[in-house]
Amino acid sequence: MRKFLVLILFVFTVFLFSETLVIKGSNTIFPIAQLWIEKLKTIYPDLEITLEGAGSSTGIAALFNKTADIANASRWLKESEIAKMHKEGRYFIPIVIGYDGIAIIVNKNLNLEKISLNTLKKIYTGKIRYWNQVDPNLPKKQIQIYSRNTASGTFETFEKIVLNKEKMAPWVRMVESTRFELETVEKNPYAIAYVGIGYVTDDVRVLKVEGILPTKENILNGVYPISRALYMFLDATNGYPDSGAIKKYITFGLSKEGQELVEKAGYVAAYGF
Amino acid sequence: MRNIKYYFQLTLIFTFALFSIAALIFLIFFIVKESLPAIIHLKIKPFISLYWYPTYDPPEFGMLALIVDTLLVTVLSSVITIPLGYFISFYLHTYASDREKHIIKYIISVLSGVPSVIIGAAILIFVSPILLNFDIWSTENLFLAVLGLSFLSLPYSVSLMTDSLEDVPRELEESSLALGASKFITTLKITTKASINGILNAAVLTINRVIGETMVVLLVGGGAAIIPTSIFDPIKPLTAAIASEIGEAGVNSMHYHALFLAGLILLCISLILTYYAKKRGRIDG
Repeated sequence: MRKFLVLILFVFTVFLFSETLVIKGSNTIFPIAQLWIEKLKTIYPDLEITLEGAGSSTGIAALFNKTADIANASRWLKESEIAKMHKEGRYFIPIVIGYDGIAIIVNKNLNLEKISLNTLKKIYTGKIRYWNQVDPNLPKKQIQIYSRNTASGTFETFEKIVLNKEKMAPWVRMVESTRFELETVEKNPYAIAYVGIGYVTDDVRVLKVEGILPTKENILNGVYPISRALYMFLDATNGYPDSGAIKKYITFGLSKEGQELVEKAGYVAAYGF
Repeated sequence: MRNIKYYFQLTLIFTFALFSIAALIFLIFFIVKESLPAIIHLKIKPFISLYWYPTYDPPEFGMLALIVDTLLVTVLSSVITIPLGYFISFYLHTYASDREKHIIKYIISVLSGVPSVIIGAAILIFVSPILLNFDIWSTENLFLAVLGLSFLSLPYSVSLMTDSLEDVPRELEESSLALGASKFITTLKITTKASINGILNAAVLTINRVIGETMVVLLVGGGAAIIPTSIFDPIKPLTAAIASEIGEAGVNSMHYHALFLAGLILLCISLILTYYAKKRGRIDG
């Protein structure tokens, strides 16, 4: 009995002194969350945070079955998720943490500066197959189309904004990571791909979409057509967290410093400019 | 006392055997159970439709392209790997000196320890850019997948085949040589015939390994669900589809069940192959 009590006490103290915060979700938000956690660790050394990036849907699913405290999502809730939320009597609240734009990238050697949403859609749905159909000055080479796989939030956003319910051509190559897309476009003179602007490097060319570059101002003003808000969803069924790890994390994220880190990760800050 | 000991050992062995068989049965049961809704709901559609659009609205679950890709990549890799493996083990068994054998076996054992991810990545980094110089439109394709799979399964098939050749009694070969047959003919006609079961078994295991290989085809296959018209077209085998999509398919959604159905199809292909090989082996052996 005494042993048992000691054990209970032990477990309890462990609970008291280490709060574990579990964050899951979008791969797009992963770099932001990573920077925040690094910084938070220096402020609160005893804070335990685990971070997993697996896609927005996975994060929200984890919020439903209570295996995560915060779900990072690069999209709004789906209708089915909202319905499920109502059915279970839960209440998830979104917090905008920044903005992301999707940049359309091509190889540096391809003589192309801008593209229209309509052309982009035609390329991805397979109606246009050669570069000279995009611009007569380009060579008659097959366009090598790359896309993130269906598990990615970037794919979902791209699909919603650009394809607008139409299907991607079956020969579009679905790849597992943004890194891969960048490297391919860098090497392959006739490739086209889309990546979150946070990932764009100097080795690829970013196209103007509808004549607009994905710059900070354009995304904040909502002028650049392929952009989206980034959210943190948290379970507020029992009210907004007024203390504890979740609260610390959110408060930091929305602070000036946290928002500077959003910029550092390559996205656009939502507050404090 | 002796009786007790005997029964104890028997029970122990029996328990372990039962455990492994139960695990296998559970696995098959689980796959069937999870794919049942897809079978009931989609009926024959996965096998006749080419369109694999699981995340669209309305979704389409045509797996024909995926199945064809799987079979293509398997057949091509097997056609390369199995004869090559046989010739290498032929050489090892017949002509190689002990030192040579030792070195080659060592190299093979090192090769078989290379993780498939590394092979896939190496092909992407070193082989893929070369293709661009030849004006090939897709830098991840069937050819590269076959290359990777052959590379991956070669050590496996070589070591299995060498073992089965080595298992043939020396007397048989010596009798053949004594009757004036050359080394080459002896190995080709006598040793191979005597060890045909082992060799077939090695071939089947190699094919099964190729079918189930995921990482290489995921990395270098290209991930486009089409039936390739040339060897340089991108592909997406069943394994790649499962690996790429299962993480995002909502549990108990139709997409999820369809992916399990893909797993079931793989399992069936594998079982049919094994069954036929065993049957053939019995007739010959």
